[in-house]
Amino acid sequence: MRLAAVDAVAAKANLISGQNLSDARALVPELEVREIDRVYLEQVFADFADWHSNASPIVAVHTATAPYGDLILDITGVSHLFGGEQRMLELLVSRLRGLGFTVSGAIADTVGAAWALAHFATGSIVPSGETEAALAPLPIVGLRLEEAQVAGLNQMGLKSIGQLYGRDRRALQARFGETLILRLDQALGRIEERITPRLPIAEYYAERRFAEPIGYMDDVLMTARDLAIQLGLRLQAEGVGAQTFHLLLYRVDHKVMNLTINAGRATRDPNHIAQLFVHRSERLEGEYDAGFGIDMIRLAASSLAQVQSTQLGAFEVADGAQDLDRLYDRMTSRLGPLALTRSKFVNTHIPERAAKLEPVIAQTEDDPEALPDPELRRPLRLLPSPEPINVMAEVPHGPPMRIIWRRIAYRILKASGPERIEAEWWRSGKNLEVLERPERGSKKRDPRDDPKTDKPKPKEPEHVSTLAAFDPLTTVRDYYIIEDDGGRRFWIFRIGLYGAAEAPRWFLHGFFA
Amino acid sequence: MPGLARHDLDALRLKIAALEKRPLLAEGAAMLAQRLGQAANDKGETADPLELLAAPNGLLHEVFADEQRQSAAALGFTFGLARQLLTTQRQAVLYLQLMGESQELGLPYGAGLTQFGIDPARLVIGRIDNMTELLWAMEEAIACRAVAGVIADLASHPKALDFTVSRRLSLRAAAAGTSAFLVRYGRGREASAAKLRWRISPAMSGEVPFDPRAPGIPRFQVEIEKGRLGDKTQRAEGKTMLVDWTENGFVSVEPRRRTATAVQRTAPPSRPVAAPLGHRLSQAG
Repeated sequence: MRLAAVDAVAAKANLISGQNLSDARALVPELEVREIDRVYLEQVFADFADWHSNASPIVAVHTATAPYGDLILDITGVSHLFGGEQRMLELLVSRLRGLGFTVSGAIADTVGAAWALAHFATGSIVPSGETEAALAPLPIVGLRLEEAQVAGLNQMGLKSIGQLYGRDRRALQARFGETLILRLDQALGRIEERITPRLPIAEYYAERRFAEPIGYMDDVLMTARDLAIQLGLRLQAEGVGAQTFHLLLYRVDHKVMNLTINAGRATRDPNHIAQLFVHRSERLEGEYDAGFGIDMIRLAASSLAQVQSTQLGAFEVADGAQDLDRLYDRMTSRLGPLALTRSKFVNTHIPERAAKLEPVIAQTEDDPEALPDPELRRPLRLLPSPEPINVMAEVPHGPPMRIIWRRIAYRILKASGPERIEAEWWRSGKNLEVLERPERGSKKRDPRDDPKTDKPKPKEPEHVSTLAAFDPLTTVRDYYIIEDDGGRRFWIFRIGLYGAAEAPRWFLHGFFA
Repeated sequence: MPGLARHDLDALRLKIAALEKRPLLAEGAAMLAQRLGQAANDKGETADPLELLAAPNGLLHEVFADEQRQSAAALGFTFGLARQLLTTQRQAVLYLQLMGESQELGLPYGAGLTQFGIDPARLVIGRIDNMTELLWAMEEAIACRAVAGVIADLASHPKALDFTVSRRLSLRAAAAGTSAFLVRYGRGREASAAKLRWRISPAMSGEVPFDPRAPGIPRFQVEIEKGRLGDKTQRAEGKTMLVDWTENGFVSVEPRRRTATAVQRTAPPSRPVAAPLGHRLSQAG
């Protein structure tokens, strides 16, 4: 075990990071050691990176050398907002120092050069074109190399980056590997190095900074409304609308909260956007935590689309489609994107696959071939998973005489069928998921009408069951419509054939009105 | 003159309703009362229960079935009522259910909806976490003037659904002109501000031509438990009728001649017969 980091007191006792733990213990017997939680650090650092998007829209965590610890900001076209590069660097570094971090920073043309300068010549700002000269005196480690490479280079007497400049590239590559050349080229800007921004880059956004941090959700929502008006005007000027809006809340203590809403069709109506955020905030419950306050709010729009601002035709019928879209937007912003669905037909004979549920705000084109055959009688309600029933039939392949479903016996007076539905041999997959017999005795009082109970939510079976594998003896289904003496009409089916190795099983799949 | 007195009384009622800030509620009731009045001009006569099946929009209905296994009948009847409210301006029907009750009751199945005259693309199925959110969704949908009807299908008896809430829903429905339907199960009845309460049970279907053993078109036994839309409808309370659902809407069936269907309808033969033969048979009917 090694020391990953040391604090100021430990450093005074001549401990260094990278030292063996037993060596360190020998030097300082009363040493207090804690295990490093890398996952947590990574998360915190990622939050920290997001927060820096209040300085520049493109912020990335540099993961080439370590999963956390290095932050890259693309400040192209941003620095003048802070009064020049010098003052921007000072501001960014000093505000982090104010929070108690040990920080060093540098500004350079390339990611590699900035990394080297930040680590070995902190505070330097290299003007464009002088990268080569600035890097020359820095140690070889500044090229983001592996330990073996650094050791090898040092052995050869190559200690600084400048010593590599005139060398034969092929010889270097052959001896130290391709990455040395790659890193060198990246640092000097001969090869492009890409960074992946953590937050989506929005072309259109409006933001507001506060002199004094705010904390109440109401204030946030009011600001969101103001920003929506600003953003709406900009979108209107460009003739576009957006489907997705992000509200980014920058907290004083370097965290960012992101609220996202989706609209069914592209919009730029500030009232509508503001209302969607109000509903979204109601779904937050305990998640919202302003900490020590929010000092900047940004509203960004993405998924842009053209929106007409002209009047619709004179003979346009007001069919309320727009009202409905807005209603669905409002409802999904509060209830969740999957709460509201509608049936969509799929071109198949398998009943549970023939109609699937699709979210209303993400509609896809209907398939005209998938419309169900009107001659076939289909039930009004379908059980998401068919339930097993016990059946007594008069003749082996005929309709049943009596069935037992959910422990109640039904005397069947009328029946029609069978309608045989074969498995789709061109698909392979699991068998149809059927429900096991529920444990009736263990049923307790339903906690569902009380929203405050923290019991796990009942698992919702998917409307579309898994596919039936092709196995002619077990997956052919014969459907019957039956009616009992009380007038209840059921849709039942039999899997399997009489005389096969496995006895046929019966299931109840739906109800007719 | 008794007729004039009644007229004055109606006018006074409307005035009071306006003062109580529920003008449309009164209007809906007055509209129906007028329509029922035309059907049965004599004021002593009770309203025809069938007339109530064409109730105007803007009302809160309760549709009760005795047991959960009759859920399809209750929903079918409700769709029948809701379908009459569809207009070019109001094209959507919302169906709301609590998350986790779909295995208990089943979900509306797209291919079966067309039989009830409802376009599956226009029926929005909402599955919602808890009762508070469901009631919010219901109110929100009722307030939208492009929605024809909102159906809440509740397998349980939630405590959140009390008289105050139903009164609130009723007023909202009246104000926006959107009908709301609460589909409930069980024999217990809670205090409710719903104007109409139906008790639905499935009934043995009529005969299908050429196939006496096959189940026929949907048939319901409908009991009007509550009809608070005026004196006439109030007198229809407790009446029971037998109705069929056909492509043309509800059709009354005489209880004595249960075997005869009200409308001739061809049905595919249920026995596996050769396709051309089956086709000819159905055409002959």
